[in-house]
Amino acid sequence: MTEHAHLLGILARARPEGLKALAERLLPNLGVIEVLQSRTGLVMLPMRDTVKGTDFHLGEVLVAEAHIRAPSGEEGYGMIVGRDLDRAMAMAVVDLTVAVDLSPTVAEFVEREAAHLAAMDRETLRAVEATRVKMETF
Amino acid sequence: MAYVATRGGESAIVQSERLYRAGLGAIDADRVAEVGSALPWLVDRVMGEASLYEPESAALALAQTGGDLYETVLLLRAWRTTQPRLAIAEPVLQENLFTHRRISAAFKDIPGGQILGPTLDYSHRILATSVLEGNPFMPEPVAPADEPAPARQPSLAAWQKAQGLVADPPREEVAPKDIPDLTREALLFPAPRAHVLQSLARADTGGVLTLGYSAMRGYGNAHPTVNELRLAEAEVCVRHPRGTVFSAGRVKVSQAEVAAKEAEGIRLGFAATLGWNEIKVISAATLDLNAPGAAKGSPVEEEFVLYHTEPVEASGFCIHFKLPHYVTFQSSLDAIRNAKTKDAVPAKPTPTAAKTKTRELEKEPAE
Repeated sequence: MTEHAHLLGILARARPEGLKALAERLLPNLGVIEVLQSRTGLVMLPMRDTVKGTDFHLGEVLVAEAHIRAPSGEEGYGMIVGRDLDRAMAMAVVDLTVAVDLSPTVAEFVEREAAHLAAMDRETLRAVEATRVKMETF
Repeated sequence: MAYVATRGGESAIVQSERLYRAGLGAIDADRVAEVGSALPWLVDRVMGEASLYEPESAALALAQTGGDLYETVLLLRAWRTTQPRLAIAEPVLQENLFTHRRISAAFKDIPGGQILGPTLDYSHRILATSVLEGNPFMPEPVAPADEPAPARQPSLAAWQKAQGLVADPPREEVAPKDIPDLTREALLFPAPRAHVLQSLARADTGGVLTLGYSAMRGYGNAHPTVNELRLAEAEVCVRHPRGTVFSAGRVKVSQAEVAAKEAEGIRLGFAATLGWNEIKVISAATLDLNAPGAAKGSPVEEEFVLYHTEPVEASGFCIHFKLPHYVTFQSSLDAIRNAKTKDAVPAKPTPTAAKTKTRELEKEPAE
């Protein structure tokens, strides 16, 4: 996974309040932003059948998308599962900030959110592990 | 044959809708949130059948319809058409699923082990009547393990293929944009496998259970055993304008393989759906297992299954019979009257009796 993919993946699942607050702080530094897209829409999700290897469409996922451009021409993009346009826009603002110049504030935020998401996943998986069958055959 | 134009129902229609909605009361964000948090399995079922993953919208649709599942799915399918298609994600691969539950009934020692996850499979089903007496039911908390389970579990089918137990046909590489898509193309038979699996993914849970159960009881070609059942979360991987593929978040998915032992080895059927819905994927995988070679019109034959398990089409066709069919019944009444008139002749009824009979027929409502 590239650094950019890691950043975007964390932003897409970051806690909304913190992400939006970060974007509010970053926005004044970006000049006049052009909003190219701010909308909800559908992403079709294919899956691969494990029997014959056929890719098929599982169904569609509602997403919110934001696409913005800075006066310098750099672009920022956000897409998140769900309908929260503000979250997607906040993600795009952070992505644009990183595209212009990685701010230490962003790096700290991403690191903190990555740790939080990892901790959440770990808690989930500890509960899952508790349901493992330790099978004994007589 | 011609339809009869009528008027006079407008006020009745308005009031009937009001009467329906009066029974549901006000619908606000709190009620939607409550539906979403209290009924996650129902929300999942609805999202699968609607073929639209959006828990909040699914909860809203359930609240708005008072839980009428076919109305709920119809609302969501209709609303979906207002949204643009923004992208096609990267295909979800089994080995990348963030897995919560993964079991096999066919093989005890599967690579990765058996993980029950959230289930009532081995629990007593007892109605908590004390709740109605004012004693809330408080679930016992999970005692988590010290170490987490692996997020990703190996594929049993891949292991079986490597062992030569299951056929491993060469797969055809298809770009995501070229995957056959039922939302844009008609379902024709014989259907491409991509259409079959997409149809089953969005099929009516009750419908696939009914037909799948008929196959399980013996009306099919093969008896299923669950090879692997998985409840998981899948990453929705999309492309950034600069080309970076990233995850926009996770969605819940279910997936099942069912196995039949045959002379050449093990044959598998497959199904998956959005949301967590085990009954549906086990039944649908059973139908996938049984479809090859099924007789025309049998309950496991591909065309029969896919045409009759589409929830919006099936429920829509059923409820259209409630709407006026007056022309049909007018001509039927004429035929009955003619037949009765002819039958009445040999009996030589008295003029008084004949008049009474005619009056009775005329008392029937005008169609």
